[in-house]
Amino acid sequence: MDELAWDDACLRLEDYLRAHGVRPRERLLALTLEMIRQARGMHAKNPGKSPLETTMKLVIDRTDAWFSTLAGAPERTVRARVAFFSPSFQRKWASEFWVSSPPEELLAEIRNATIEAGPALDFQSLVRKEMDYGAMKDLARETWGQFSWSHALRAFLLWLVVVLVAYGAYLRFFA
Amino acid sequence: MKPFANAAGLSPDVISLRQALFLATGGGLTICGILLMVSILEGGGFTPAEWVLLALFIPLFGQIAFGFTIAFWGFLVLALGGERYEIMRTLPETGEAEPPGSTAVILPVFNENPSRTFRGLENMVLSIGQMPGGKAFDFFVLSDSNEPDCWIREETKWFQLCSRLNAFGRIFYRKRRVSLHGKSGNVADFCRRWGKRYKYLLILDADSVMNGETMLRLARVMDANPGVGIVQTAPQIVRGRSVFQRLVQFATRSVGPLFAAGSNFWHLGSGNYWGHNAIIRLQPFMEKCVLPELPGRSAADRHILSHDTVEASLMKQAGYQVWFAYLEGGSYEEGPPNLTESLKRDRRWCQGNLQHFWFLFAPGTAFANRIHIFFGLMAYLTAPLLAAFIGLSAWDHYWKAKFEHLSALSTDPAWTGSGQASVSLLRLTLVLLFVPKILGSIHLLPRAREFGGILRSIISSLLEAVLSILLAPVLLYFYTRFVILILLGIKVGWKTQNREDSSIPFPDALRTYWGPTFAGAFLTGATLVWMPSLTLWLSPFLAGLVLSIPLAMWTSSEKAGRGLKAAGLLVIPEEMSPPAILENLEGSRGAASSSREVASRAGILELAISPEVNAIHASLLRRSRVHARHREEYLAGLRQRLLAEGPAHLSHREIMSLLWDAGAVELLHREIWLLEEKNLNPCWRAALRD
Repeated sequence: MDELAWDDACLRLEDYLRAHGVRPRERLLALTLEMIRQARGMHAKNPGKSPLETTMKLVIDRTDAWFSTLAGAPERTVRARVAFFSPSFQRKWASEFWVSSPPEELLAEIRNATIEAGPALDFQSLVRKEMDYGAMKDLARETWGQFSWSHALRAFLLWLVVVLVAYGAYLRFFA
Repeated sequence: MKPFANAAGLSPDVISLRQALFLATGGGLTICGILLMVSILEGGGFTPAEWVLLALFIPLFGQIAFGFTIAFWGFLVLALGGERYEIMRTLPETGEAEPPGSTAVILPVFNENPSRTFRGLENMVLSIGQMPGGKAFDFFVLSDSNEPDCWIREETKWFQLCSRLNAFGRIFYRKRRVSLHGKSGNVADFCRRWGKRYKYLLILDADSVMNGETMLRLARVMDANPGVGIVQTAPQIVRGRSVFQRLVQFATRSVGPLFAAGSNFWHLGSGNYWGHNAIIRLQPFMEKCVLPELPGRSAADRHILSHDTVEASLMKQAGYQVWFAYLEGGSYEEGPPNLTESLKRDRRWCQGNLQHFWFLFAPGTAFANRIHIFFGLMAYLTAPLLAAFIGLSAWDHYWKAKFEHLSALSTDPAWTGSGQASVSLLRLTLVLLFVPKILGSIHLLPRAREFGGILRSIISSLLEAVLSILLAPVLLYFYTRFVILILLGIKVGWKTQNREDSSIPFPDALRTYWGPTFAGAFLTGATLVWMPSLTLWLSPFLAGLVLSIPLAMWTSSEKAGRGLKAAGLLVIPEEMSPPAILENLEGSRGAASSSREVASRAGILELAISPEVNAIHASLLRRSRVHARHREEYLAGLRQRLLAEGPAHLSHREIMSLLWDAGAVELLHREIWLLEEKNLNPCWRAALRD
């Protein structure tokens, strides 16, 4: 049972490293074995946690620490992570993942990488001007200001009577 | 005659003469129609119903007459060797050593297919990269997407594209937290942040593509004409797959150039702006074209939905010209995939155009802009007017026929429609309706090979005419409905256009088109029973309504579209020899996956699992400096639910709350890798295996 749990941990770790683009496979396996060995040691001291959780906590903490080193400052860590995933970095540095002392060239490239989602802000205030809509606006405002359905109904009935009377007069005298 | 070297040198006499010719032609034809109508109606003296008929007839016939006028002058301009006053003619032939003014190319997007958007963008970046002076162009994807998966995929595509082309610092991505005022708000937000950095703004739609040479020429023409505020191109509709798309793309290539040339003929430097595929001078745009509020009671009423026509009017008022570069190639867009999607877009446009009513009488609006606004209004108001006209005519005919029958009078030719005036009016109407199509076909003939050959281009024109006749009553039905709904204050949502899925299944077609089908069946029955003599005349109108369901379904079919293409029908030059800028634009909807939920939630699942996607997303969020405990507890609860129950069990708002918090997103990534499979929702397990 315990060995099955370690298998799960091993598989999850391999997936995690693969998701980080670790290459070549030999390096991926070497890192997996190294981390599983460390995790087994920790698990022996603290068996309350599952092998998977113990392993992955160790792994994620190590990843965070490694990217912190690469970034050089905590606020730049996420940028370092992003830069590491760009295809040019992956081609060149994927095999250096987790190395305890990253090469100077890698550090320089990561720290100088420009991943800007937008240029520097240069604010311009957009001022809306009052538009003169002419007489139509006044007419509409007056209509809306005084509008009520009862008034509208009364007006409609009045005009209906006027139209009917006019039509009747037309039929009676002109048609 | 001096060449047209500068837009500022355009003589007011030329403008006056052109507008006089345009108004005289359109007005003269309208007066002819009115006189014929008067002579038909006055046969038995004017009844009140006939006065109403005449009042309805005038704007309807005017619309047809002015449509014909635009096509007629456009045909003449093109047949006589092209427009002398075309803005692109002012481009200096030499002097390309100078880089053009700095230009921001913006693509406002709202839940569009990111694969398609970024492939188009890639083509444009590569195309402008080959041009001297291409470095003056920066690209911005301005996202208002509120679908989480779409948002995540946009970010990933942006990062991958920038990495692939080494274009960080030239291609930018911005997501708005609050999508205030739709597309116009999106563009205004860009102007506030970065407008001062650029001289010009080249605005595109998510499905627009423009080649590098065209972009460069537009920037250069703006450099050459400091008095020009906007240059609008005439984007060609391309990549039609369904019958409907092919129909639209062919129509825009056959009669489209005539209408474009005819429009430019009368408005010259007082053109309109369509909201995309256009270049704008930023300084006056930001200073003078900020959209005003409309008179209205609520904030929503006061917001202008269709901003483009208003912006063109404001630009003109600010003293800048607005030109239509209708002969400029290399500007493309895609059409809606089917009739339903086209109607959805029309409903939006209808509401926007009706709002423009306020500007029709606003002091300071230029004459040409008032005409643009009026034509925009009439594009939709014509439908209820025509419906009323047809209804009233039928009613009038019915009563007269009944009276004639009862009184046993001899048949009055005016009443039966066989009088000389009736025949003349019918002929005139048919000429005004169909001659533009015939002129369009004639215009195609010299380049018929690009449209599949002479015979096929003629058959295509006939097919386009027949389908347009059948679709017209369906549009009439829906436009009438839209106008009534909008005037009653029933709001129109700002929905995403579906540019990908084309076919309309039967249940959807039935749900959407039962109204016109029922109306058509009822009117056919009523006509057969009460006015059998009118049945033949009304048959094209009635057939369009009755057949609206199969028509909508067939025109939405990509299979039928492919069949037409294989037969060489409704083809356009871009299909005969595709330009490089349109290559590889096919976009996949999402990641292929074994699980349906994984496929439909690919973006959010990747965000949680992939360290790359997670880092990209977190890096693009602004981090909060304040850590409120209750907020963190709320987000922790959401993460827990998301992992245990899956994304489908969280509301849209809950997911967006999580996605806007960089810390929560990073913790989500950490937690998913730490959790044992048994504690994860099946969709996460499937995604981890994928």
